Amino acid sequence: MSDSHTQTHTAPAQRNETELALQGVWRVVVLNDPVNLMSYVVMVFKKVFGYDETTARRHMLEVHEQGRSVVWSGLREKAEAYAFTLQQWHLTAILESDEAH
Amino acid sequence: MKRIEVKLSLPVVAPLLDVIKELDADLRQNLAAPLAINDLEADFHGTWVDELLAGQNEDVRILLALFNEEFFSEGVISIDEDNAEHVVRACAAVRLVLRARHLQQMDEETLESGEVDLAKLSDPTRRSFMCYLFLATLQELIIQHLDSSIIGS
Repeated sequence: MSDSHTQTHTAPAQRNETELALQGVWRVVVLNDPVNLMSYVVMVFKKVFGYDETTARRHMLEVHEQGRSVVWSGLREKAEAYAFTLQQWHLTAILESDEAH
Repeated sequence: MKRIEVKLSLPVVAPLLDVIKELDADLRQNLAAPLAINDLEADFHGTWVDELLAGQNEDVRILLALFNEEFFSEGVISIDEDNAEHVVRACAAVRLVLRARHLQQMDEETLESGEVDLAKLSDPTRRSFMCYLFLATLQELIIQHLDSSIIGS
């Protein structure tokens, strides 16, 4: 997954811009959906992020009540991996750069 | 190995399997939860979708495999540590597609509460809604009894 991402062939200037954009902190944000059960979302957060019950439940309630929750932040590559895993569990995830805030 | 056996009402559940099978073609081609990340490179995006679809198809295949000869003779399905994760995920996928394709007219509150006058629904909507509730019940059972197996796997 990461290999195909890093082996792209772009012009040096363009690549540097891309690399700069991908540096820094990225947030993995889970968005609310009206279908997935609360217990299911809690289980997924425990499974994917290793959260304890209290933390997983807090994030689930944030998603449910506020429509979104930042569940992880860090390097882009790892954020993408988490977003992919959340999609495997049919949760809707987006990535946000910290610079956008 | 931890395992649960669920006794189901054959006349009630068998017609719901047709609802799932009817969605099979849709689920083979479309992600239940569409990708919301819009800044992935095209190749990368394609690879993600292909991998996610492959996983989704495998999950649904395993869900449908629960309803085997034993189910049609005794009404029993078995869920264990090997299939629990696939089944709970497949239930989520099917429920998302059911909501998107057949239950759009129901508001979120109604869907969450499950308090619906079934007599007022058309036959296809009633079957879809019953399937939606059945899969949620199956998920709850798995999470209640096999949560630690899934998280630890």
